[in-house]
Amino acid sequence: MHASVEQPHGDQEAQPLLVVRDLQAYYRTSHAGVRRGIRAVDGVSFTVRRGEIYGLAGESSSGKTTLIKSIAGAIKPPLEIVGGSMEFAFLSGYGGLHRAARAELERIRWRHLSYIMQGSMNVLNPVRRVRSSFVDFAYPHIGGSLKQFEQLVVAHLARVKLDPSVLTAFPHELSGGMRQRAALALATICRPGFIIADEPTTALDVVVQKEVLGMIRGIQRETGSSVLFVTHDMGVHAHITDRLAIMYAGRLVEEAATAEIFRNPLHPYTKNLISSLPRIGEDAPRAGLAGAPPNLADPPSGCRFHPRCPLASEICCREVPVMREASSGHRVACFAVNGGDGA
Amino acid sequence: MSGYAGYVGRRLAQFLLVVFIGINIAYVVTHASPIDPVEQSISAVTSFGNTAPDAIEQMRKSLRELYGLGGTPVQQYLTFWKRILSADFGPSLSAFPTPVGTLIGRALPWTAGLLTVSTLIAWVLGNLLGGLAGYYRQSRGLKLMGVIAMGLHPIPYYILAMLLLILFGFIWPVLPISGGATMNLPQTLTPEFVFSVLQHAVLPALSLILIGVGSWFLGMRSLVSNVLAEDYVVYAELAGVNSWRILTSYVMRNALVPQVTGLAMSLGGIFNGAVITEKVFGYPGLGSLLVDAVYAGDYGLVLGVTTISILSVSVGVLAIDLLYPLLDPRVKVS
Repeated sequence: MHASVEQPHGDQEAQPLLVVRDLQAYYRTSHAGVRRGIRAVDGVSFTVRRGEIYGLAGESSSGKTTLIKSIAGAIKPPLEIVGGSMEFAFLSGYGGLHRAARAELERIRWRHLSYIMQGSMNVLNPVRRVRSSFVDFAYPHIGGSLKQFEQLVVAHLARVKLDPSVLTAFPHELSGGMRQRAALALATICRPGFIIADEPTTALDVVVQKEVLGMIRGIQRETGSSVLFVTHDMGVHAHITDRLAIMYAGRLVEEAATAEIFRNPLHPYTKNLISSLPRIGEDAPRAGLAGAPPNLADPPSGCRFHPRCPLASEICCREVPVMREASSGHRVACFAVNGGDGA
Repeated sequence: MSGYAGYVGRRLAQFLLVVFIGINIAYVVTHASPIDPVEQSISAVTSFGNTAPDAIEQMRKSLRELYGLGGTPVQQYLTFWKRILSADFGPSLSAFPTPVGTLIGRALPWTAGLLTVSTLIAWVLGNLLGGLAGYYRQSRGLKLMGVIAMGLHPIPYYILAMLLLILFGFIWPVLPISGGATMNLPQTLTPEFVFSVLQHAVLPALSLILIGVGSWFLGMRSLVSNVLAEDYVVYAELAGVNSWRILTSYVMRNALVPQVTGLAMSLGGIFNGAVITEKVFGYPGLGSLLVDAVYAGDYGLVLGVTTISILSVSVGVLAIDLLYPLLDPRVKVS
């Protein structure tokens, strides 16, 4: 599997912050002598540019979370990085956070790379005041006097419309929305260059969801950070991401500017995904996709989508399609789209 | 604050109710016992020789009066409460005419000293090691500790105590096997006396600590592994927060909350005396006193010891309930 990696376009904007090349991350278990490998991420390549919000979409168990964990360096057995590399602009020469030394990680994390998690409401230590979370997470990176630090935190809280009094509160004394915003402030206080957002709005009602998305967008514009935004919710992607990659069964199948994906989806899976979205004014029932996502312990040969694909031909069962540029900036891995020259 | 005051008031009322019910149960149980203390002491006296029947009758009457057994059951019950409220449990039967209060006062320091120290040591060690073992799951030494704790856990306490006695009393006789201090030493704060007390306390304390550390260790280790999966710990680790910080302020701090409750309960339970410990090691504490009192049918003494232990357990629970809102901010006073 050799996917073409997008070359930087030369201008300042397009300088990559993260280049992932042919990443393979498997869950390897051994039970009573029977070894099993789940190929959750299998040959994924993509580039996150500076100052963009890069979206990653895919249904449950498509390997999104594994990909995120691998990039974040949160790799614990049975998860293993089997191959490929991840190069960060702020960490050269390691090929991924998982190879970096603990001291290096403590320096990089939060200063350069931070996270917004799905359970953002529960990321604050329940037995300590909110202030101490800010001190634990960010103070070592920012330094100075505690008083100055606190002023900085208060100013930053104002960006997410929180009163300074939340600092002296315990997490359970705040509402869900307030906790969500406090977590957002906590993730961005150090103005990191790169933010990984893993389903940050999934558990929220639409009002809070819109508010949080707006805040992420606002902070991202202000600090010029890059965001890797992961969610299965295509509506959220349409709302916030600049470019979008679609993941299916551990591989990327398509990548393009978000508007392009919605306007002109090329891969049969993406087409299906887009056409399944409800549109205002239409009340015809939406056609679903027959079949279920494959078992990654024993994935189908060739293109992993072929058992469910309406366009599948004989080559799809044998060969693995490669991500190729169909038009400028629009990559897709499909024999039906790219012609039969994938071999 | 008025909310907290109301809470304290309700909690105090509950405390009094629990103590009242507990003492009543102790009263009923002792009085339902088939051993009659009056007949017991009369037979003790008569066994020395012949006594005139009317003298025996006289003695029976005065003994009944003394033990609060005169009159109808209702009168007896009222006398009993009158005595409890004036903290006077009357004279002991088995050590007549020493008052029950004096006997308890003599035994209490032994029990309190031994059990407080060994409970605290076991709690601190068990939680520290259990916390570390839960957090550093790969550490060989801590894994071994886990295996040892698991192995010690199912051994009945008295077997372990006996084993220690045999080991350090007979096979390698370095420690005294019975008593609280060397017999004929004056009980004053001389270096010899203190040394002797410590020497006698080693084995009973060791047996209590071994068992205690094991169970605190296992409890804490599983609490910690639960806390480790919580979002706030995962997140702090992703954020590169200093790992010692995570262990202390995030993991241990959250896992300790239920363990503190456990500590208060076992500190409250101290005044029950560790009955088996004191029996096995011949320790002159409340536990031994209680067992002897039960055998002798010594109502006053049994009631005295049980009242103290009912009070102390209830005080322990009350204290932890009052402190809990400070310990875990999520516990709302309502």
